[in-house]
Amino acid sequence: MQEYKRIDISKDQIVPIAERMRRQNVYLVMIHAFLNKEGLLDVSWDYAVEPVIESYHVVGEMLLPSIGEIYDTAATWAEREINELFGVEFEGLDMSQRLFLPEDLLETQGRGQIMVTPLSELVEKNTKEAGK
Amino acid sequence: MSYIVPIGPYHPALEEPIHAKLYTEGEIIKDAECFVGYNHRGIEKLATERNAIQTLVLVERVCGICSHSHAFTYAMCVEAINGTEVPKRGQYIRVITAELERLHSHFLWLGIACHIIGHDSMFMHIWDERELVMDILEKMTGNRVNYAMVTIGGARRDIDDDLRREILDACQKLKAPLDRITEIALTDKTIAMRTKGVGLLPTADAIRLGAVGPHARASGVDIDVRRDSPYSCYDEFEFKVPVVDSCDVFARVVVRALECYESIKIIQQALENLPAGPINLGTKLPKIKEGMAVCRHEAPRGQLSHLVVGNGSLTNHRVSVHVPSFKNTPTVPFMLRNNTVADAGLIIASIDPCFSCLDR
Repeated sequence: MQEYKRIDISKDQIVPIAERMRRQNVYLVMIHAFLNKEGLLDVSWDYAVEPVIESYHVVGEMLLPSIGEIYDTAATWAEREINELFGVEFEGLDMSQRLFLPEDLLETQGRGQIMVTPLSELVEKNTKEAGK
Repeated sequence: MSYIVPIGPYHPALEEPIHAKLYTEGEIIKDAECFVGYNHRGIEKLATERNAIQTLVLVERVCGICSHSHAFTYAMCVEAINGTEVPKRGQYIRVITAELERLHSHFLWLGIACHIIGHDSMFMHIWDERELVMDILEKMTGNRVNYAMVTIGGARRDIDDDLRREILDACQKLKAPLDRITEIALTDKTIAMRTKGVGLLPTADAIRLGAVGPHARASGVDIDVRRDSPYSCYDEFEFKVPVVDSCDVFARVVVRALECYESIKIIQQALENLPAGPINLGTKLPKIKEGMAVCRHEAPRGQLSHLVVGNGSLTNHRVSVHVPSFKNTPTVPFMLRNNTVADAGLIIASIDPCFSCLDR
């Protein structure tokens, strides 16, 4: 089984860690995000420090530094995606164009896919309307 | 004269939608941009409304070619969260299916590459041989794509002795045509002229841009999750990781052709040493415990990663899927620079892109 190591950090540590990883030619596996139980955003930078994934987590921040200058598109695409889905802003990230969501969904201030009505609620609403 | 040449998102030459803008000076591409997102299906969101077994069915639909890779990786995540130990026979069957999937995916790509190059007899020859792999997959799983071979805690279908011998025979039969295909790929003048020195991605740039899989290995980057971070039972097999450092489209052809031999080797070892015992842990619907896991799998196109967050209920709290094309597509504009417009199609195809996969 692949080993996964969670390390909680503050947002000031994001860039120095990325620089250290880049110097060691460590691959950035992905930048992930999800809302935790408390409703706070948990963003993680997962690095392949073979054979382990070292996952650096920042919780509850909506403004984060971009590591695009260090990891180029390996980071910027993931950052753009997180911006679209969760509305997190990455300082220094070019967000002039959308990556995945239609342009009109950007009007929701990046609160796209993950913030939309849960499907079960939508089904309930549609069923009620159909009943009328 | 400067032109902006748009390709796609819907274009007869594209199997899947992507929009590329080529900024040209005469015939030469000076810069390029790629736009994706035309197939966004909200699969990650849908996964938060489904239980683990339903999610296996859902994530298989992320991609038609590497469907097993998605189910395999998602199952590994849930098993990691729940601390489930998969029976050895189940692990072996998962690996056999994964390597058969790699074979058919690489054959498919090699055929398409030859078709784009204009070598259509080679294209038809390769796809003819691919049918042997597809027939085996169909016999094993009942399907040509979306195999449904994975369940949480193992595999869904067993391989009996007759089928085991049949797959071993098929592997043996594949070797001669693969030798022929590899020889033609390495020596044919048309292929060499269209691919050598085209679409360069130097090693340092491949690392910087985060290229993965055969695409990175063709740029001299020696990475392979199966070897570097062994999962399932991959550490029980001997195989090589082909790495070529000419960094061009030709290298991508060579790496994929050589990887087919290694996949055959893994399948043969797995079938010859197939352990006895159960293939899974039964059919009880599993709860996904509170916790999270990120698992990686070396899919045919490269490193595939899934993040699963569980909250102790039957459904997923969050599923995040990142496919190899998510890493490889951003390298395309870099590779297009200083090549001719005529080579753009081949260069885009050389990463073996899957835009539906990428968009999810």
